[in-house]
Amino acid sequence: MAGWIIAAALAGAALGAGASDRLAPLPPYGTAYTPTTVDERGLWQQADEAERDLRDSPAVVRDPALNAYLTKVLCRSVGEDRCRGVRIYVVRAPVFNASMTPNGMMVVYTGALLRLRDEAELAALLGHEFGHFEMRHTLASFRRGRTIGDIIAWTSVLSPYSTLPASLIQLHFSYNRAQEAEADLMGLRYLAAAGYRPLAASRIWERLMAEQDATALGRKRHVTHRYSAGFFADHPTELARATYLREAAGADGERGDDSRDAFLTAMRPWRASFLADQIKLNDFGGSEYLLGELAGGQWTPDLLLTRGELYRERGNPRDLVSAAQFYQQAIDAGCTDPIAWRGLGLSLLRGQQEAAGRAALKTYLERAPQASDRAAMAMLIGEGGVQ
Amino acid sequence: MKGLRIAAIGLALVAAPVLAGNKLIPAGQPVAVAKSVLTVTPSVEWNKLGARPGRNSETWTFDGDALNDLTFYGGIEPEQTLFREVSKRTKPLPRVKATMLVTDIPTLVENSYRIALDTPLFTVEGMEPMAFAGKPGIRFTYSFTRPNEDLPRKGEGRGAITGGKLYLITFEAPRLHYFDAGVAAFRQVANSAKL
Repeated sequence: MAGWIIAAALAGAALGAGASDRLAPLPPYGTAYTPTTVDERGLWQQADEAERDLRDSPAVVRDPALNAYLTKVLCRSVGEDRCRGVRIYVVRAPVFNASMTPNGMMVVYTGALLRLRDEAELAALLGHEFGHFEMRHTLASFRRGRTIGDIIAWTSVLSPYSTLPASLIQLHFSYNRAQEAEADLMGLRYLAAAGYRPLAASRIWERLMAEQDATALGRKRHVTHRYSAGFFADHPTELARATYLREAAGADGERGDDSRDAFLTAMRPWRASFLADQIKLNDFGGSEYLLGELAGGQWTPDLLLTRGELYRERGNPRDLVSAAQFYQQAIDAGCTDPIAWRGLGLSLLRGQQEAAGRAALKTYLERAPQASDRAAMAMLIGEGGVQ
Repeated sequence: MKGLRIAAIGLALVAAPVLAGNKLIPAGQPVAVAKSVLTVTPSVEWNKLGARPGRNSETWTFDGDALNDLTFYGGIEPEQTLFREVSKRTKPLPRVKATMLVTDIPTLVENSYRIALDTPLFTVEGMEPMAFAGKPGIRFTYSFTRPNEDLPRKGEGRGAITGGKLYLITFEAPRLHYFDAGVAAFRQVANSAKL
């Protein structure tokens, strides 16, 4: 009991003091915005340091066209005045993620770009992250966490057997989940206001759940989708997000523009390298699901080639047969990348079809005379090298 | 008496590196490595680290494994991983396959590193046939960067598959100074390999 009284008193003092927040009336995306309170200054300083590190990292994709496209979509989504306060960094990492720091640094992973289907979905993602920035979520969460930490410390001194700390920790994580939901809905409002199709926001989560199931099945694990967020979860479950976003999109959620062609045009130069990073993760089930999603019933030569590589890398005897078929289909569908003949030859050789395999590798070397693995492939054909 | 006991405890703490099992490898003597039949004869002294990356592997270094890392993989059997898995459940590593060709060795190394180190910044620069311990084998070069580190690293590997098992020696070091400084010693060790 004593614990609760102390908690109430401390919470009142701490939250009360913070209630006015003493924040500048200016929004954080404004020109030359200067953080005002000591907490905000500290967070911005840390974020500035992180940004300096990231800016020089070899993992950042610096292509001007790709970066300009993301900026354009963000500006259309949240408005020209708001988007100027944000720097977007595309980071090479083959997983679905994006993040935002309080100083306006937005990080988008290449794995997210690979998994999005159209510009409306990209706008939903960027709008969500911008929502965190605009509503100063990091600052609010930091303050809340500190207050809760103080209360827990005092409670454990004055009333060591109290169960209060456990419920306060839960409160902290549920607060973070509420922030995510708030940013989701903020992103959705931007999406609708910019004329994009509102249902795009929920579709991202539906596909992500299906991919996680495919990954689990591919690794012979049980599919463990959760209907409610766990104690320590700082994000709502994908299921919850898909559901409330679909409901919030309303009855005319399909109305609006998805700008699919513009998105595909911007991603075309990148898809092969994003896919190459994905299939090297040893996630057969997830990668196979993703390829099927990207194909949508129409297997293009680049997707067939990637599918061949995926099967060849898993390398069970039956996979090698399938891989050879996919490479052949890619070649028949007009693939001109020499890698297709290389993969075909290697799959056939591993499947003990020596003559056909050597013939395919010969074609590879004819088409890529400067290949860095030329001598090694020549050895497999039986032309020179150390046997 | 009490002082003696404290001194003994202090000594035990100071002696901890000995317990870690790091060992000097003398020059000019054949030595079996990675708990296997693979034998090499180094022409200079190396330090063997007590910590092994996996069951059938061992690491040698001059200045610490962050600066020069020579690792032997001695007879990895089919369906085994190259080194210990970070998480079998969420980040399983690729496994050696019975159908593997020598040209698949660089891919196995690449994918294992990408997953274990959590970095997409890994490139196999090139490969060429080169006998390994008298068996048809491969030599390959690669470059990579660990996450949260802007230091580019270079690596070179020599390996072969014999009797269905993978034998491999890799050397990696920061591109700046350490790779060029140590690679000749690595090549001498790799050339001396016997099975």
